[in-house]
Amino acid sequence: MAAIRTRELSKRYGDVVALDSLSLTVDDGECYGFLGPNGAGKSTTINILTGQLVPDDGEARVAGVDPVETPVEARRHVGILPESGRPPSFLTVREYFEFAAATRDIEEATLTERVDRWAERLEFAHKLDTLCTDLSQGERQKVLITQAFLHEPRVVFIDEPLTNLDPIMQERVKRFFETYRDAGNTLFLSTHFVETAAEVCTQVGILNRGRLLEELRPGGIDGDALLDQFFASVEEDVGEAELQRTP
Amino acid sequence: MTLSTTYLLRVMALEEWRLHGRMFGGKRFAMFPVFVAAVAAGTAAFFALANADTGLLIAGLHLVVATLGLQVGTVGLVGRDALEDLLGETTLLLFSARTLPVEPKKLLVAFLVKDVAYYAVLFLLPLTVGLVPLVVMADVPAARLPLLFLTSVGMFALSVAASFALVGIHTRSRTASIALVVAVVAALLLDGSRVLAVTPYGLLADIRPLTVAGSLLLPVFLGVVGVVAFRFDRRTPSRTAANRFGWLHRKLGGADEQGLLAKSLLDVVRSSGGLWKVVFSQGLVFAVLAVLLAFLPDVVPVRPEPGLTIAAVLALGSFTTYNWLCQFDDTAFYLRHPVSLSAVFRAKLLGFCLLALPSGLAFLGLGAVVFGTGTMAVGIAVFAPLCLYVFGVTAYVAGLEPTELLFDTPVFAGFTLAMMVVLIPLVVAAIAFTLYPTGLALGSVGYASLSGLAGLGLYRRAGTRWEGRALDGTD
Repeated sequence: MAAIRTRELSKRYGDVVALDSLSLTVDDGECYGFLGPNGAGKSTTINILTGQLVPDDGEARVAGVDPVETPVEARRHVGILPESGRPPSFLTVREYFEFAAATRDIEEATLTERVDRWAERLEFAHKLDTLCTDLSQGERQKVLITQAFLHEPRVVFIDEPLTNLDPIMQERVKRFFETYRDAGNTLFLSTHFVETAAEVCTQVGILNRGRLLEELRPGGIDGDALLDQFFASVEEDVGEAELQRTP
Repeated sequence: MTLSTTYLLRVMALEEWRLHGRMFGGKRFAMFPVFVAAVAAGTAAFFALANADTGLLIAGLHLVVATLGLQVGTVGLVGRDALEDLLGETTLLLFSARTLPVEPKKLLVAFLVKDVAYYAVLFLLPLTVGLVPLVVMADVPAARLPLLFLTSVGMFALSVAASFALVGIHTRSRTASIALVVAVVAALLLDGSRVLAVTPYGLLADIRPLTVAGSLLLPVFLGVVGVVAFRFDRRTPSRTAANRFGWLHRKLGGADEQGLLAKSLLDVVRSSGGLWKVVFSQGLVFAVLAVLLAFLPDVVPVRPEPGLTIAAVLALGSFTTYNWLCQFDDTAFYLRHPVSLSAVFRAKLLGFCLLALPSGLAFLGLGAVVFGTGTMAVGIAVFAPLCLYVFGVTAYVAGLEPTELLFDTPVFAGFTLAMMVVLIPLVVAAIAFTLYPTGLALGSVGYASLSGLAGLGLYRRAGTRWEGRALDGTD
């Protein structure tokens, strides 16, 4: 069954085409890697699929919900790890998780058990009573990762998950992604780290200038091979664009 | 190659221009000096027409300039968090001392000189130009305007240097900085006129060698103290707090199903100044108005009705409470959670009512002791609906980022106009009150109530408006 499905999604910002008729399908239990250069349209796609942005055209469905028609409902059902974002300055880490739980009606006992588990997994138990404004960049990233999974959503959108994490934590997070995916959940992972995509993702989409150039299943190929494939796709697309501009 | 101070000044001035451009509405920030001149001209014309004491206006102008200087000096140097809360991740060239091979003290000197020059051209010059009505319509000689410009620049430089010296000392010893503040306040209270005589403001009264020397040397001396004392590499420990969110969320019950109100209240309580900043800001407004209303008959030939006047100005000042409630989050934050912006604005309204109303009503109650119960009854009746109007207009016009948008010149002009539409009739009613007390009291209450309803309507549309803009990507 499809966890994410888009049809002909398009979005423009003035004269800039951010998404150009994007159609893709991601099934339950997949980890979909979204690769592309800066400005390719990755964040725009995630923002539309999580009900943070309305497309100019096209349709989308995520976890059985239409994020365009019912954006708040869509956000209730998915997890979101933003590329740039900070937890609220003057709540403690524990209070921020309570806030996130209050927006999704998570029971107190369930929340406590999940927070304890995450604090142990990412080693931030000693920071639970610290104001978020005083956390380091890496600690903030751990808090944001936790809040994205706190309600154990069926679909999670993740933008650059490993930023500011040390290598041990990076490995731990990657292993968690695999476990979560294998439990039948869906991850939509936007990243510039091609090796991470090759390692964790079951399916990869290469995006450039708002267009989906290619989809492939990296099973069996290493990061270098995927990187070569990425360069080849993007360079071909750039070449085509230059040809189109030549009178 | 060694970087020249001139080059640093040029780059820092460019950085400041772009910072303000982003903060205050892009290229429209270029209109800001015109707006400052227009507001100053309007105020000067009012004083001239009312045949008021121009010295009071000039003293007030220097007070505003000095306050701005104190604020500019501290925000630039210690308020990196404040800048980030306002603008997102922001780093100024000033903070690059650890990563670039530039002498930190040289960066500091360039930063201070740049601040004084930048504000002198973009703020103090238009402010002085705006005083032309005093020359045309009152008794201020034209030759005095250049001196006014010099004294205002001097007061600005002095206050920037003073706050910088204080920040510098604070990085060494908190006790010493507090002792210094106490000493300065005590000196001003004991013999303020003698202290002011050796500041640039003193040049307006008498140009003597001592005044000139004090005006020139005092800012330089304080600047040197700041540069010598300031430590770049200080670290602040992580702050912890007992868990209050869950308790507050439960106490608020059905009024706060998603925890939005509890979060906003904790933001205000835990940020600098705590809850006291709400009480202090309203108390300051009340104290200034109470003194002015008590002594105003000596300055201008009219005395507005105290209850109506204090309530109107306190309600206008409640904008700062809205600002504090919104200062530590933004639309993007809420869009990542399953909440509607209408629910967020509802929480902000409840927070606004919990913070601004009780404090304001308490000061109006205090006013009843000073000015009498009758006049304050009118004030109390108009205060709540006027606050609702201020909330509705601000939420609709500025959304969740009031500081950024209200300084976008055209938007700010729209906000000012919306405030004037309601406040000017009430001020006129306050001035004419003794002529028709009953009729004007009832009319004022009715007018304020209608304004409150308009504010309620705007508040209800604010969520839809800002959510629509955010989802379109045009926010």
